[in-house]
Amino acid sequence: MSSFNFQVSRSRSLNLLRHPHHHLTYLSFNVLALSKLRRFADASAELESLQDLDSPEYRYESYPKIYPDRSGSMVPFFLRWLHCIVPLRLEQRREGLDRLYRLVDLVREKLKEREANSREESLNVWKRRELFVMNTIIGDHLSHKEFSVCLDLIKDLLSRDCSGLDAVLLSKLGYIQLQVGDLEGAKGAFSRVEGISSEGNSVELKNLVNRNKALIYLVGKDYVSAVREYEVCIERDHMDFVAINNKAICLMYLRDLSDSIKVLENSLERVPMVALNETLVVNLCSMYELAYVNHSEIKKTLSNWIARVAPDDFDSSCTRI
Amino acid sequence: MSTTQASHSLAFRVMRLCRPTLHVDTPLLVDPSDLLVGEDIFDDPLAASQLPRLLSGPGIKPPEDAADLGYRTRFLLHDATDSMGLSGLLLLPQAFGAIYLGETFCSYISINNSSNFEVRDIIIKAEIQTERQRILLLDTSKSSVESIRAGGRYDFIVEHDVKELGAHTLVCTALYNDGDGERKYLPQFFKFIVANPLSVKTKVRVVKDTTFLEACIENHTKTNLYMDQVEFEPAQNWSATKLKADEHHSEMNSAARETFKPPVLIRSGGGIQNYLYQLKSSSQGPEHVKVEGSNVLGKLQITWRTNLGEPGRLQTQQILGAAITRKEIDLQVAEIPATIIFGRSFSALPKVEAFGSSDFHLKLVATKLGVQRITGISVFDYRERKTYDPLPDMEIFVDLE
Repeated sequence: MSSFNFQVSRSRSLNLLRHPHHHLTYLSFNVLALSKLRRFADASAELESLQDLDSPEYRYESYPKIYPDRSGSMVPFFLRWLHCIVPLRLEQRREGLDRLYRLVDLVREKLKEREANSREESLNVWKRRELFVMNTIIGDHLSHKEFSVCLDLIKDLLSRDCSGLDAVLLSKLGYIQLQVGDLEGAKGAFSRVEGISSEGNSVELKNLVNRNKALIYLVGKDYVSAVREYEVCIERDHMDFVAINNKAICLMYLRDLSDSIKVLENSLERVPMVALNETLVVNLCSMYELAYVNHSEIKKTLSNWIARVAPDDFDSSCTRI
Repeated sequence: MSTTQASHSLAFRVMRLCRPTLHVDTPLLVDPSDLLVGEDIFDDPLAASQLPRLLSGPGIKPPEDAADLGYRTRFLLHDATDSMGLSGLLLLPQAFGAIYLGETFCSYISINNSSNFEVRDIIIKAEIQTERQRILLLDTSKSSVESIRAGGRYDFIVEHDVKELGAHTLVCTALYNDGDGERKYLPQFFKFIVANPLSVKTKVRVVKDTTFLEACIENHTKTNLYMDQVEFEPAQNWSATKLKADEHHSEMNSAARETFKPPVLIRSGGGIQNYLYQLKSSSQGPEHVKVEGSNVLGKLQITWRTNLGEPGRLQTQQILGAAITRKEIDLQVAEIPATIIFGRSFSALPKVEAFGSSDFHLKLVATKLGVQRITGISVFDYRERKTYDPLPDMEIFVDLE
């Protein structure tokens, strides 16, 4: 990530980028890389160097010689999204949220235009983008514990979806209801997920259903049944790291600290590319702190292994050393 | 955690086991078609037909087996809803947190043998000490733990319903034979404070013969409280109905009613919720003798839930209604004629027995037209020389014939 960053800066400074849209694409990669490294101030500086994203400078028709017969915006959509996210990460919440809500308006305008012209592929892409931005907004409200707003926004999204219910979104509604304590609401949401067509269900959808069931068991303190559900998931997909992590948590609540540690350590060894997740590591370190009086040694071993194996963007402060 | 002076082979490690949380992340995940190409490119029919295929090749899909060592899942957007950051991953409690009256204190306790020798005949005790009492949570004296090997541990989970406010201490003790055969005693203390989660303010109003109870619940905790049940349990002679406000707009859509009922959430740190109950005295009628003195209406039972359904339960003190004084003579208007004509008498007094009631006609003559007020009708007891409370004022309309 850091070396990539370096290469982008070099090529831009050496003017190796030939076309206007290259400049935008490389800048987007750069801002993404800086954000991944949590260097948000630098990311913000990069974004400052841009003109207004809606200016003619970023449209194909402004360069008829380079892009003959082409019109439209050349801005990568992700750049618009990053432009909203970076202020959020810099604790400028009002600015970030304003930009996000304005982005939703922009996306909805684009959707209206394409509905009129019935360009299906384009329409699908913008629908996905609408969902993507709305979910970002819900995520921000969620991290500030503004649960009523989240519930209203999700319900609004679900009521618009006429093509078929979104099992993943419905499940997330259930998770928020669980988080808040509305157990009946969550059970309702999860049973609606189960009701969604079960013909030719993907492994992913099947595991989602089992994980939802496990959460209900967990909430009822039936940890044994929860573990059983997670084992079904892991049997089907040995890389389902949510099931792996949650199974370990349930083992702990069953007074089996040793096994819960084993489950997490095993997953890091076998499937690091999905298991190497900051939350999973935080859980493992909490378990170490409980299990060992002198836990700093074992945490150091873990930390060293992570340093060798993990990608640049891994936040190693999660080991709390 | 307090440390002891003597060197011990054993040590207690404690972790509060309230429910885990569903972790909320702030992910940076991207869909390739949002990054590699301009946002409007899919308007071009050529791009629309070719790009999706190109952008979903093997290097971009999530890894399918362990041999694939890329960390793509850390930046590739798999589902549009992934940007919410709620993957369903559970996170262990990261701090002791606040603990409130009515909740259940649950803790994982692990005794570790960090020495190089086996430790034998361990008697373990765990109890909660408050200002008022000592509550035993665990005692292995009847069946002591035989041994804990070097580097081994013995775990247990304790639970206690918190019913007192203020300072609490979790006292963990172990009596054991260490590697040298010496009998040692290890006490460890973990302190916490129990605070009040709610305050309840009540108001009682009597309108005619119905009593209304208004209850206002205020949330003093650091998290939102989901009000599972707020029920009024009336005392013996009373019945209660909860009065609800108009339905929330989202409940109007009956298809959505199941999943979409808005939860009653009281905001953390000072949020309030009001409840209204209509109470009726269950024995009505003139035969009923009202009890003199204070009037016990009943009490409120409150159950709430927080994070992942963590329950809490409290009951208020007995709520008192307005004091009822027993009237010796109760005067009530039975009937006023519909039309009252000026100048015509409109209706004298039989003897009233003890504990009896009697209807009588009182003849009055109206001397003025229009809306008039009748005041000052009271009952005077000749023998005891006592005037009782007057009848409440009445308004009548006097007309011409």
